Amino acid sequence: MSAPKISVYSLSDLKNTTDDALPNYLTSLKFQQSHFLADVRLALGYSAVLIAGATFYADFKLGWDATKFWTLWAVVVYFILNGALTYWIWGVEKGKIFTGEFNETLVSIASSVKKHKPVYNLQVRYGKPGEEPRVLKIAAPFTRWFDADGFFVATPFQQWLATEIPPIGEADSKKVVGGGGGGGGGKKEEKVMEARQVKGHADSDKTTREGGARSRNSKKAT
Amino acid sequence: MLSTLNSLQPRQLLTQILNFALVLSTAFMLWKGLSVATDSPSPIVVVLSGSMEPAFQRGDLLFLWNRGQDTQIGEIVVYNVRGKDIPIVHRVVRRYGGGATPLNLLTKGDNNMADDTELYARGQDYLERSKDIIGSVVGYIPFVGYVTIMLSEHPWLKTVLLGLMGVMVVLQRE
Repeated sequence: MSAPKISVYSLSDLKNTTDDALPNYLTSLKFQQSHFLADVRLALGYSAVLIAGATFYADFKLGWDATKFWTLWAVVVYFILNGALTYWIWGVEKGKIFTGEFNETLVSIASSVKKHKPVYNLQVRYGKPGEEPRVLKIAAPFTRWFDADGFFVATPFQQWLATEIPPIGEADSKKVVGGGGGGGGGKKEEKVMEARQVKGHADSDKTTREGGARSRNSKKAT
Repeated sequence: MLSTLNSLQPRQLLTQILNFALVLSTAFMLWKGLSVATDSPSPIVVVLSGSMEPAFQRGDLLFLWNRGQDTQIGEIVVYNVRGKDIPIVHRVVRRYGGGATPLNLLTKGDNNMADDTELYARGQDYLERSKDIIGSVVGYIPFVGYVTIMLSEHPWLKTVLLGLMGVMVVLQRE
């Protein structure tokens, strides 16, 4: 199953596909992904569901009068867990799609889109443990890595990430467009743009094919 | 459609299932919370018969409260007949006992010719307030409960509805 075709007019399809591709790419670069956030969310959610299930079963088997007292506590605990889950999703996870570590650098990446704007926003925090993390906000239109038919093309996406985010550039220096370690002054930025355009014209066909193959590989790798 | 499910990673799959389970369990726990608050095993009931017309029509949605145990004549109560699990909405027309002794009630449908002794279980001539009554009516919304009458008269609708809900939640992200 290679990259599935999506509707290019569906913003959530664009975002979800990209959200899925990003961790795949980073883990293929030997980033150590931490699943702590997702695991806590799942644990909170499933504990709540388990309590509701037990309440349902007890009510079904024993009836209302026998279970009245415990039902009160089950309801209280259920809604506390549900509140904690909501807090975890909105207050702690805040749209993070990847947290992990590479070369003793902690990286966390949160994605977002604004309603009806086909632009992918990333907020990246990275830094050595114990240090104040550096915060980087980058954005790019989805058209950069989705073709007109709705297929995800991995190479330009990976180049964008490697160029803009220093730890990724460090891990995958071949994908950094415009030479150097990524980032830099305004002049450099212009060069990067040029380089991208030239490359796009020269072998756009090759890029697409390569991209397709890559995304297949990265799927397999996980 | 199913390929979307296949391509999900375990945590994503678990998240999708969780979303669906949370919808169901939250609905159930809200219901139970209302039960606890009103002290009634079934705090919202739908009128199934026309025996209380013109006060209530078939399909009216009733809200019950079961915390005041000293039910008065004229109050409309919902009770379950012993051995049958069908709630009946009728008005209290007589009280016996109360205070130190257990309160017993006789009920009658406004639209019925006779009182409910015929409806009660064999050998039972009155309702015990603390055992049989599941609540007094404190409010109602006309007609909106008709959906549930439809669902119980055509049970396949339930399966269809539940299935549709499930498919929607699992296949939809956001």
